[in-house]
Order: sequence, then C-alpha cells, then structure tokens
Amino acid sequence: MNAPEHARRQEGTTSRFVTPAAVNVVLLIATLYFLLPVFWLLVASTKSRTDLVSSFGFWFANPQLIENLRALFAEQDHVFVQWMLNSVIYSGGGALLGTVLSATAGYALAVYAFRGRELVFGLILGSVLVPATALALPTFLLFAQLGLTNSYWSVLLPSIVSPFGVYLCRVYTTAAVPRELIEAARVDGAGELRIFLTIASRLISPALVTVFLFQFVGIWNNFYLPLIMLQDDRLYPVTLGLFSWQSQLSRDPQLLILIVVGSMVSVVPLIMTFLSLQRYWRAGLSAGSVRA
Amino acid sequence: MTTTETRTDRRTRHTSGTRHRRAALWFLLPFAVPFVAFYVLPVVYAFAQSLQRISRGGGSYGKATSVWAGLFQYDRALHDPDFVASLVRVAWFSLIQIPVMLLVALVLALLLDTQTARLRRFHRLAIFVPYAIPGVIAALMWAYLYDPRLSPLTQAMSTIGLDPDFLSPSHILWSIANVVTWTYAGYNMVVMYAALQAIPTELYEAAAVDGAGELRIALQIKVPLIKPALVLTAVFSIIGTLQLFTEPQVLRTITTSITSTYTPNMAAFNAASANDYSYAAALSLILAAVSFVFSFGLLRRTTRGEQA
Amino acid sequence: MSQTRGRSRTRTVGLAASALAVATLATACASAGSTDAGSATAASTASAPACAPSTGKVTLTFWNWGTGMDKVVNLWNSQNPNIQVDLKTVPSGNAGTYQNLFNGLKAGTAPDLAPVEYDTLSSFRLVDGLQDISGCAGVADAKSKFVPWTWQQVQMGGSGVYGVPQDIGPLALYYRKDIFDKNGLAAPTTWDEYYQDAKKLKAADPKSYISFFSQADPNWFTGLLWQNTPTLFSNDAGTWKVSIDTDQTRKVADYWQKMLDENLVAKDLQGFSEALNKAWDNGSVLTWISAPWGWSTIRDGAPSTSGKWAVAPIPQWDASAPSNGNWGGSTVAVLSGGKHPYEAAQFALWLNSDPQAVSMLIKETGIYPAATTDSTDPFLSAPVPFYGGQKIFDVFAQAATQVNPDFVWGPTMTDTYRFMSDGVAKTLAGSQTLSQTLTDTEKKTKDAITAQGITVAP
Repeated sequence: MNAPEHARRQEGTTSRFVTPAAVNVVLLIATLYFLLPVFWLLVASTKSRTDLVSSFGFWFANPQLIENLRALFAEQDHVFVQWMLNSVIYSGGGALLGTVLSATAGYALAVYAFRGRELVFGLILGSVLVPATALALPTFLLFAQLGLTNSYWSVLLPSIVSPFGVYLCRVYTTAAVPRELIEAARVDGAGELRIFLTIASRLISPALVTVFLFQFVGIWNNFYLPLIMLQDDRLYPVTLGLFSWQSQLSRDPQLLILIVVGSMVSVVPLIMTFLSLQRYWRAGLSAGSVRA
Repeated sequence: MTTTETRTDRRTRHTSGTRHRRAALWFLLPFAVPFVAFYVLPVVYAFAQSLQRISRGGGSYGKATSVWAGLFQYDRALHDPDFVASLVRVAWFSLIQIPVMLLVALVLALLLDTQTARLRRFHRLAIFVPYAIPGVIAALMWAYLYDPRLSPLTQAMSTIGLDPDFLSPSHILWSIANVVTWTYAGYNMVVMYAALQAIPTELYEAAAVDGAGELRIALQIKVPLIKPALVLTAVFSIIGTLQLFTEPQVLRTITTSITSTYTPNMAAFNAASANDYSYAAALSLILAAVSFVFSFGLLRRTTRGEQA
Repeated sequence: MSQTRGRSRTRTVGLAASALAVATLATACASAGSTDAGSATAASTASAPACAPSTGKVTLTFWNWGTGMDKVVNLWNSQNPNIQVDLKTVPSGNAGTYQNLFNGLKAGTAPDLAPVEYDTLSSFRLVDGLQDISGCAGVADAKSKFVPWTWQQVQMGGSGVYGVPQDIGPLALYYRKDIFDKNGLAAPTTWDEYYQDAKKLKAADPKSYISFFSQADPNWFTGLLWQNTPTLFSNDAGTWKVSIDTDQTRKVADYWQKMLDENLVAKDLQGFSEALNKAWDNGSVLTWISAPWGWSTIRDGAPSTSGKWAVAPIPQWDASAPSNGNWGGSTVAVLSGGKHPYEAAQFALWLNSDPQAVSMLIKETGIYPAATTDSTDPFLSAPVPFYGGQKIFDVFAQAATQVNPDFVWGPTMTDTYRFMSDGVAKTLAGSQTLSQTLTDTEKKTKDAITAQGITVAP
C-alpha cells in the first residue's frame, strides 16, 4: 500500500459514489451487524439468570460478572479450566502439527514434478467435499479397533490433516518461492531438506501463519469428533463441555448463566490468537504482494 | 490453479531426477499417512457400508448381519421424499445465501482496501470475529435473538411498529441464512482482502492518474484480478452450505419450523442415529457427490471463461 | 435425576440436546459393529441364561447421571465388601450418556450397569447391548415388588428380564389453581371439561393458553395416546404389528387438533425451554400435563409462581373407567460385555426395591419409584410448599395404578418419535392435521422396522 498520496487523494475526489463518508458509514453499519450478537453475549454474561430472561438484552442490568465468573470456574471442581486447557492442547497441538504437514506436502506438490502429482492434489482437494458426518463415524470405528478412543490422541490425530492447508501452501509456494532460488541453492550443494528449512519455509511463513490460524480455529470449533470419541468429561474440549451443560439445562436451569459466561470466556483465546498473529499476517501479506 | 503454473512444472520435469522424486516422497509422506488413515479409509469404509443392508435372523432381536444389497440404499434415498426435499432446500438455500454472503464480503473487502476507510484494523477484526465463535455458540446466540419471547431484537423493533417473526416456517430458512452469513462473511472477506492486498499498486495507479474513480478501479481492475480468490471462496461456500447442520439443529430447540430431515446432513445423521448406518452412509455419499458436481461445475465454468 | 431421566427422550429426539444431538452417532457405530459382534444372547430363547456368582471380590462399574446416587452406592458398598460398585457420574446429559454407552458397547468399554429408559430398552437390545438377567437369583421373585406394568416392560414381551425398573412417570394435571379459582373453575375431570375450561380461560384473558403443544416432546404425546389405547405396538411370533393410527388414537389426535384450531393451546413453545419458563412465570400458560418428575421443572423454571400451582388427576375420556399413560422413567440395565451379571443383578435389585435404598433414592436423587414398597415414604407423603402445601405425590400414586398395563414399545422408538415430532411440526405449521401425523408416523415406522431386517405386518 505504497501508492503515492496524491493519486489516492485524487481517487477520493473524483469518485461520485465512493465518498469517504459513504465508505465509513457502510463499514460502521457492517461492524455493528457483526458485533451486535457478540455485544449481546458480553452483556448477557454479566447478568443473573432472572435478568437474562426478563431485562432488555442489549443493555446491562445489575451486573455481576465477577460473581458469574467465580461460579463458572468453581463448577464441578474447576472442570471449566480443564476444558479450556484441553481445547488449547487440541487446537494448538493439532494446528502446529497440521501446519508442518501442510507445509511439506504443499511444498512437495509445488516444487517437484512427479507422475500422478495432479491426481494426488485432486484427491486432497476432493476430500474437502466429504461431509463430516460421513467421516466421523467410520473414523471412530477404526479408532475403536485400535483401542484409541477416549484419549487425547483420538481427537488430536485426525485433526492434523488439513486439505485446505495443503492447497494454500502449494499455491503460496508456487507464488513466493522463485525456482531460480532453489536451483541456485542446489548448485551450491544444499540438500532438499535444507533448502526447504532455510529458504522456502521462511518465504512461505505468511502462508504458514494463515494455515495455523485457520486450523486452530477449525479444531477449536470442531464438535463432532470429540463428541464421538470422548467419554471422559475431563478430556472434553470447551465446546463439548459447554454443550454437555446445555444438555443438562432442563434439569438445572442455573447452568444457563454458566453456559453464557463460559461461551464468552471460551471465545477470548481465539480472538487473542487472531490479534496476536495480526502483525505477522499483515507483514506476510505485504511480503507476499511484492512477490506476486 | 492456473495455466502458468503448469507451464513451469513442465519445465521442471525435464531437470528433475530420481533424487527429487525421492525428496517429494519424503515431503509428502508425513501428510499422506494421516490423510489416508483419516480421510481415505473412512470414505472407503462408508462406501462399503452403503452397499449393504441389515438382515436379522431369529426373531425381532435376532442377530443382525450386514448383507450385500447393491444399490438398494441409493434407490431408497432417491425415493425418500424427505431426503429429496432436503436436497432441494439446501440447493435453493445455496443459490440465494452464497451470492449474498460473497457480495457482502467483497464489498467490505473493497471498502477496506480504499484509502478513505478509517479504523481499518478495527473493522477488519470486528467483521472477522464471528468466524472465531464456535458454530454451536453462534447458533445459540442467534436463537436468543430470534426467540420472539426473549429477543431484545424483536423488542426493539416492536417499538417502531415492526413485528418480525424470524422463526415462522416461511422465514426460518432465511433466518438460518443470516446466521451462516454472519459467521462466514468475515472469513471470506479476509480471504478476498488478502488477495486485494497482493495486487501490485502500480496496476491501478495508472488508472487513478487517468482519472478513474475508486468504483471503476474496483470493478474493472481489482475484482477481475482477485477472481481466483472469489472462485475459491465460492467453492468452499458451496461445500459448507450443502453440509448445513449445526445451525438448523440448534435452532430446532426453539422452533417447530425445522424438521429432523431439514437438511441432507441432518437426514444422514438421523439415519445413523436409528441404527440405519448403511442408509446414513449412502445419504452422506450422495451429498458428497452433489457437492462435487456443484463445485466442480463452478470451477469448470470459471476456468473456461478464463481461457475464452 | 428422575426429572432428567423422564424426559431424556426429549433430548434424543429432538431438540434441546440435539443441538448436538447425538445419542445417535453412537447407535450408528454400535449398529455397524453389531454386524461382526453376534452373540448367543441375541435371540430370545425360552430358557433363561445361566447366571452364576463370581468367586472372590468383584468390582462393578455403574454409570449414572444426576446427583445424589453416590450416597446410595456408598451404603451398598459398606454392606457388601465383596461386591463393590464404582459409580461414575456421567455429566453430559442423557443424550450424551446413551451415546457413550453405545460407543462403549462397541469398543468393549461399557460399564456393567447403566440407566436405560423403558422406551430405549429395545434400541439397546437391537444392538445386543443388554443381558437377560432372568436366570439370576432373586430376579423372578422381585416381580411383585414393582408396579405391575413396569415389569411387563422390562420383560419386553418375552420371558427374559432386561432391566430392573427404577422410576416411572404416570401423568397428572399441573394447573394454576389461583387462576382457575379466580374464574370459578375447579380442576377438570374429563377432557371435555378441560376443553370448556380452556375456552373460558381464553375468554377471561385472550393472551393466555390453557397449555402448549410441544413438538419437542413426542414421548409426551405418546403418553397422551397411551391413556386411550392399550398399546401402539404388538409382537406376535417375531412379526410386529404397528397400531399408531387407530380409532382410539385418532380420538386423542382430533381432540388436540380442535384445541390447536381454536387457538386454545400455544403452538410456539417447546418443553423445557426458557421461553416456556417465561410463559409459566407470567401466567400465559396455565396447565401442564406431566409426570411426577415435572414438579421440580415448574418450581425451578418459574420460581415466582410459588404457591399458585396444584396437581389434579389427569382428565379422563370416560370418567367411569379411568385410565392413564406414562411419560418417562427408566430402568437400571445390566449391559452386555460385563463379566459379573449375577452381582450386577443383585445390586440393581437392591437399589430399586430395598426399602432403605428406595427411600434414599427418593430423597437424594428425586425419583418417583417404580417399586410399590414405599407408598408411605416420608418424602413422598410430605406437603410440597411450591404447590400450596398439597401432598402432590398422592395424586401420582393413584395415577400409577391407572396406567394401561399392556403397553408395548416398538423396536425403533428413536425413529418413531422422530417421525411423530416431524409430523407435529407440520401440524403446528398448519400444513397437516394431527391424524395425518399419526397415519404418516405409522407408515414410516413400518418402513423403519423393515430397514432393521425385522418383519412387520402390513
């Protein structure tokens, strides 16, 4: 975004429809739409159960956030903390491993020509089409035969596969890793692994951050897999834990407020992750745009 | 996914030897093993299941065995009015919801790409935030905002004389569409925005100097250049939409307008829940086939347009 | 707790839980598995399977949901050093519990004992998940200790015994006594009176409804049908007969259709929802036909209405021949794969029929027992403040004796409930009538039974 200022300014004035005011008003309305339900969640998590049902949803009434939070963390012997930790393990571990695998596979598909390459790539892309329900059940049965259900592995292992990650890494590698650079390194006598580790991985790091981020969110939000695999509530990720409360709601209506507060708290790490990776992501993007 | 790429590849092939082939294998293997285990095998397994049916010996609770049934389950599916209706429903849903969502995402991405937009970081984050919210929680939140007896939204709207019923049978599909749009528009916007940022500015500086407005630059230069990103988001949206499940399933808890076979995935899920696993497998695979036809149809059409 | 148990079907079928539904996936897995896991106990045979005590110390695993069970189990453990019960409280709600059980059966990690509702017994038997304990010492003699129709249900139309009855849900009428009084109305004794009252209450307050028709609770509607029909299913020599669409059931359906058509019952409320709690709270829904476990549902959902409710017997179709239906309740079943059926059966029998144990269950877990030994239980005979000090459980004790005893559950109740629930959804949307829903449910149920490889009469 290094367009000369005068050119930009000129655009602004010559445009009849895209006036600065219009641009910002539209953006503001959009942001309002996207944030309103989040705001509702924020407000709701400060309320008592009675106020949640009876007071106006978009504004505070007798805030008692601290009290709600205390109840949340105290419930069932601090089980919520365990759930959060589990989610971090599943999402962090799965995303990290998944990113590495996507990077190597995407790199291989971009850099090396071999027979059946497009077939392999097509197979990986096509796998995105299979509905989650169709995959989850047979996967469970396969795991049951290995005695691996109801363990951290049963959720972690299937999560490390990201067809979309492979796709992104391949496309990005093709765009961002100049072939001449690889050839030059080979001439210098560098091995293939070293070329990947020292040259390519750095060049495609923005893609890696992207893959990591979306994989992280994907695993965090995945619901089926842990639902089927896990029987021990101490292994639950936070989404499944909150669901288990939701499913007990009719027995114990007081859980409602814990679900609301828990939802709010569980969303925070995701937003934090996104925020903290923003810098890399943006830096990566501009780097990518120079190369492209 | 472009023609230039293939040309480069062809050149590489001549220079690459067995050493490179072996390297490729080692690079691919760590991904290939779990991929086969958690994607290919389960699909093969599901396919085998779909060609069977249950046969029971020795009375009602006799031993169940799976016997070869050929395409019996597929035939059953195509004659199941509820399932066919669910397919038509999500197809119709996709036809409306996806273009709307992508248009919203594109407009927002283009607006954020203008120099006049203020607080760009804030807006971008705000619009993306819903994507970070688990589908279950998002649907539960909207369930509250739709429920006529609890919703602050309907409360607020009734003060200005509006009385919307988000949950009536005729509106519910679009209420679901809203939840899906809300969740994924930001994600698509980010993908498009990333593509926009990758466009070298020189490409439209010239146009700007020639006096082209932002609108014209956007429509005539930017949009065509990010076509691959648009196709990508469209394909993923089609796949996601046809697999619609969580949102209607959660909203079912508060409305009678959604049946248990409202979407194909729900139909498959329920068949599975009723021990009718072969049927569930057949339904899932039909859905996968339909997704395949739709998304590849789109890819074919757009690539042909490129070549023309 | 019994409240949850009673309505767990709600969740499996539909709604609340199905947010993430589920009971189900598991079933799928179990079924897929059953293809290779055939077993000798599958076919129902005339002779009871052998059931010998194990030697040495035995530890049984028992999964249960809700709170309070630990105290009862502790009592057993202190009295039976050689048969220790390891209780695991499954916190994920009923839908999740069934799912876990089915998964566990498939993976060989299921517990020895678990709660299974009456209408779910058949789903478990279809995947060969239950042990027939009729050969275990003391089981045959226990029959007389339970409300007769519950024993009928655990025998499942044969001579085997597939669970020990724990609690029941005979229907009665919860009603807003204050508002009935204000309008000069007594509790209705017949359905016709109920209809007349509905009209009067509507006239008095056009915004109020006498009740609501919950699409999420097909097992509730089944309870209403049960009141006016001997059974919805029967099994003759391995061939099933489905009688969901009969003159008797249509009478019930047409009645509620009339209530819906005249806008006397709310169409947009689901059972166990916050919206319903609010409607109870602000007095826009005035009655609930429900089971004994429902007493705490209203108390917790609409605390501000304390003292305003009362319980009356369910309205009758024929006041001279009172009959009733049941909603919910469960058994404690001995699951397949367990190595100690004898010990498991002994514990299940003790838990659900020993006077001291049952009394503790009532007090600690809040169930309404299937055992007949406890009509004088101190908790059940006490006045309940929320219901204006009425001894409400007396009403249910009477109701339990009137439940039509020969009721049989179909082999694919998950499906049947789902078809009914979908049909009710269409009914509430105005696109078909309740009788059409019955016709439709019967037809689809027959197809579903056939899909399980079971013979069904046309």
